[in-house]
Amino acid sequence: MTHLTMEQLLAVREPGLEPGVAGWRNHASACDLCRAELERLDQRVARLRALPALQPSRNRFAEVRAGARAGRRRRQWMVFSAGGIAVAASLALAVVLTRGPGESADGTAQQMAEQQELDSIIASSRSLEGTIQAYNPDQRVTDGRTASVAASLEDRLARVDDQLQLVDMMDQSMRKDAALRLWRERVGLLNALVDVRATRARAVGF
Amino acid sequence: MDLFRLADADAVLPRVKAGDPAAQEALYRAFEAPVYNLARRICRTTEDAEDVLQETFLEVFRSIGRYRGDGSLWGWVRTIASSKALMRLRRNKYRDTDELQDDITPLRREDTALRMDLETALERLSETSRAVVWLHDVEGYTHEEIAGMMEKTVSFSKSQLARAHTRLRRWLGEEVPA
Repeated sequence: MTHLTMEQLLAVREPGLEPGVAGWRNHASACDLCRAELERLDQRVARLRALPALQPSRNRFAEVRAGARAGRRRRQWMVFSAGGIAVAASLALAVVLTRGPGESADGTAQQMAEQQELDSIIASSRSLEGTIQAYNPDQRVTDGRTASVAASLEDRLARVDDQLQLVDMMDQSMRKDAALRLWRERVGLLNALVDVRATRARAVGF
Repeated sequence: MDLFRLADADAVLPRVKAGDPAAQEALYRAFEAPVYNLARRICRTTEDAEDVLQETFLEVFRSIGRYRGDGSLWGWVRTIASSKALMRLRRNKYRDTDELQDDITPLRREDTALRMDLETALERLSETSRAVVWLHDVEGYTHEEIAGMMEKTVSFSKSQLARAHTRLRRWLGEEVPA
């Protein structure tokens, strides 16, 4: 007499009726050995379900909260960064519009140089954000210290972003200097954040 | 599972969606133990399981706005945890040690002195087999769902389960002479 294989015994326990299972069920009800095997299988599964729940050795909520907050900030930058190009464009337009008929060629050249610098800083900012995204921090775990340093940098970034939002409301003469200063600060903070992320990524072997 | 805590978790859901840190902590406390247990049963090390725990909750808080309540909250969290644990298995590419050891030194029927307890036997299974056993037999996922999460076929899931139970039966000393 051929007894049921483990795969057939497991199929018998499944809900539904796959082809062949009815025959295996009939066999299991008629064969003492297979019925006993099925009971042992049921008992094994019951014992698996009754295994004690394992508990984490330490509380990770601080890291989770810091990571969640950082993720939210990061998504805000993405929105902000897209707006950065618009800021640059509006400042460029301001350079053109504020150029009066008597304005010297030197003054215009200086304005254009400042505009180029601003464009370049915004491009650096976007590039650094890309680098941070490439480390995929939302999907990575961090130790408490790294999470805390990153969260502090991200808070400062958020404050810079808040100030940048106000630049458009400033007087024309102050707007460009303020934008340059804030974007430079933003790039500095992003550079520091890249260092934190890259160091952590190397430490855990990614 | 602590039903009181689970009820709490559902109650704080609107505040979690609004990003309230206290509500996030309540949700974390409600599901911390079952998520960790699932992760630890699938992953080889406690460190990996703790990382899965952290990754799971980061994903939960990031995606909570997409949870529409069409299934249980625990079911939704558990699916995220299972996916994260399986992703970690794929990334770490653990060696399937039980198969190697079995090939070299098969356990003989008379080795009843080597009979293991269930915890040890479960731990000795390969990562893939253990994951399938846990997800199917304990968490109650179907082979179709497991195949989807593992990016494998349904037959793969079924054969892994059969193989695992054959090994568990032998290691637990439950084999009956034919």
